[in-house]
Amino acid sequence: MINYTLMVAAGTEIFAAGSSDDDSGGLGLVFLLSGFAFYTVIYLRYRNVDKRHRHEAETEAVLLNLEEQDVFVASKKGLTNSRMSGANSTKVHGALRKFF
Amino acid sequence: MDNLNADSPHTGHTAPVPEAAPSAAEIAPPVAAEAPPTSPASVDTGGSAPVAQEDAGGDTPRIVRTDEGAEDGLTKCARCGSTEISLNVASGNLRCGFCRFEWTAENALEAFDLNGDIGKLSGIVVGSGSSDIIPSVEEVLTFKCSACGAEVVIDTNNSTQARCHWCRNTLSMNQQVDNGAVPDMILPFTIEKASAVERIAKFVGKRKFFAHPEFKREFNPNNVMGVYLPYMVVDINAHGRFTGQGEHQTRSYTVKVGDKDQRRYDADRYNVMREFDIHVNDLTVESSSDRLDQDTSKNSNNIINTIMPFDIENSVRYDSNYLSGFTSERRDSNLDQLTPIAHTQAADVTRHRVNDTLKFYDRGVRWDSEEVDVRGQRWVSAYLPVWLYSYQQKKSGGKTFLHYVAVNGRTGETMGSVPVHQGKLLLVSGIVQLFGTVIGLVLVAVGV
Repeated sequence: MINYTLMVAAGTEIFAAGSSDDDSGGLGLVFLLSGFAFYTVIYLRYRNVDKRHRHEAETEAVLLNLEEQDVFVASKKGLTNSRMSGANSTKVHGALRKFF
Repeated sequence: MDNLNADSPHTGHTAPVPEAAPSAAEIAPPVAAEAPPTSPASVDTGGSAPVAQEDAGGDTPRIVRTDEGAEDGLTKCARCGSTEISLNVASGNLRCGFCRFEWTAENALEAFDLNGDIGKLSGIVVGSGSSDIIPSVEEVLTFKCSACGAEVVIDTNNSTQARCHWCRNTLSMNQQVDNGAVPDMILPFTIEKASAVERIAKFVGKRKFFAHPEFKREFNPNNVMGVYLPYMVVDINAHGRFTGQGEHQTRSYTVKVGDKDQRRYDADRYNVMREFDIHVNDLTVESSSDRLDQDTSKNSNNIINTIMPFDIENSVRYDSNYLSGFTSERRDSNLDQLTPIAHTQAADVTRHRVNDTLKFYDRGVRWDSEEVDVRGQRWVSAYLPVWLYSYQQKKSGGKTFLHYVAVNGRTGETMGSVPVHQGKLLLVSGIVQLFGTVIGLVLVAVGV
């Protein structure tokens, strides 16, 4: 019996490969994992184990009396990642759905 | 947010933070329902109804009675006196089965003033139907029929109504007892069964090719059931202070590393602070322990979770007649069990809203500290309407897995879990992999 978790993990590697800084060979890798990707996409479409109520966006809320501080610290040059290291402002901790 | 400049960050505090909101003692007492004439029956509950409290600070909840004027027993049509009353889904009204007279219960939030200014909430305000469940209170209650005197049993796990086996009158339970069976409010179905059947058939119809053959053989969307599921609806008044760092990209360019091109980025880093009040309205959390368990390797409860949200503001005062023809699931979780998940979700909502003020930081923000101080919270229990198609899949080793296809009884949002024919899917995936490997090796060889 093929382990579904491993398959999904392999599937996610496709996207990691696709977003690599070094793009050469990326498309080839995508094809090399096409069977795993196909399984993952179909399984998710049928079973929808990844779906949940997006409470963070679908719940009505209002921000009031806002104070802001934005203080320049430093300029960084030659960063290799397109995203800030450790960025966590979009994290969701209250999802009831346990996926894996 | 209209007082933000997303393009150029600025420094300094801009607005003072007000003091904590005043006490919410102004919440009005509940208004008695305009109930049709009734002949109340006696009930042996084995427990006592919640006691209203005038005010309570700190962690002691202040209870707002939501069953004032409600009576158990025979609820009769005001025009003809029949007890054959049920929901007319098309109109959202209660309708007499004999004379077709229609009426509706009061809007619950207005009747109990549970939609007051969230900014004025302090401490914990709880609808009496959300009170803690006392384990000693029976789940199966015995009523005496006031029409014929027979004893009638209501299993509150599945309903709050039963028909007298002697005189055929319908007995309703509308008063709250401490077993979680009667909530503060109910949101009636507005999606009709035929529409739910159509939506489920369409959803499954798009997922037939890899569906398990036994499921395809046995699938009959007409077996859908209307179920009122228990939820807690929470309003939260909180103050938050987030601190961390954010990065704004100033340049993106390509450099040569050996014989390969690589992307590089320049960015400005800022210390970021946001301090604010936040009002969270109608955060909805499952209040049945079964539904709270959403481990997708064991159940498909995440499907029912996905069809939220509901239009909670249209909920009405609880009346058992809304359950006629439907089933219900009793609440079995108390505030202390639900508070951690509600507060965690409120923090998620807060973080998401704060993101609207961070558009300048296109490389992201890392919060090092997130303080959310809940100053006031209001809890109301509700039955919310779900059309549910369920399929028990038999697996190897005698195991079973319950799949759901669910339709929101108000919005029609549909989601489902369709059992997969693993052998077929693996075979097709293997064929895709075979072709993919050949093409991939060729592409890697030529360096694409």
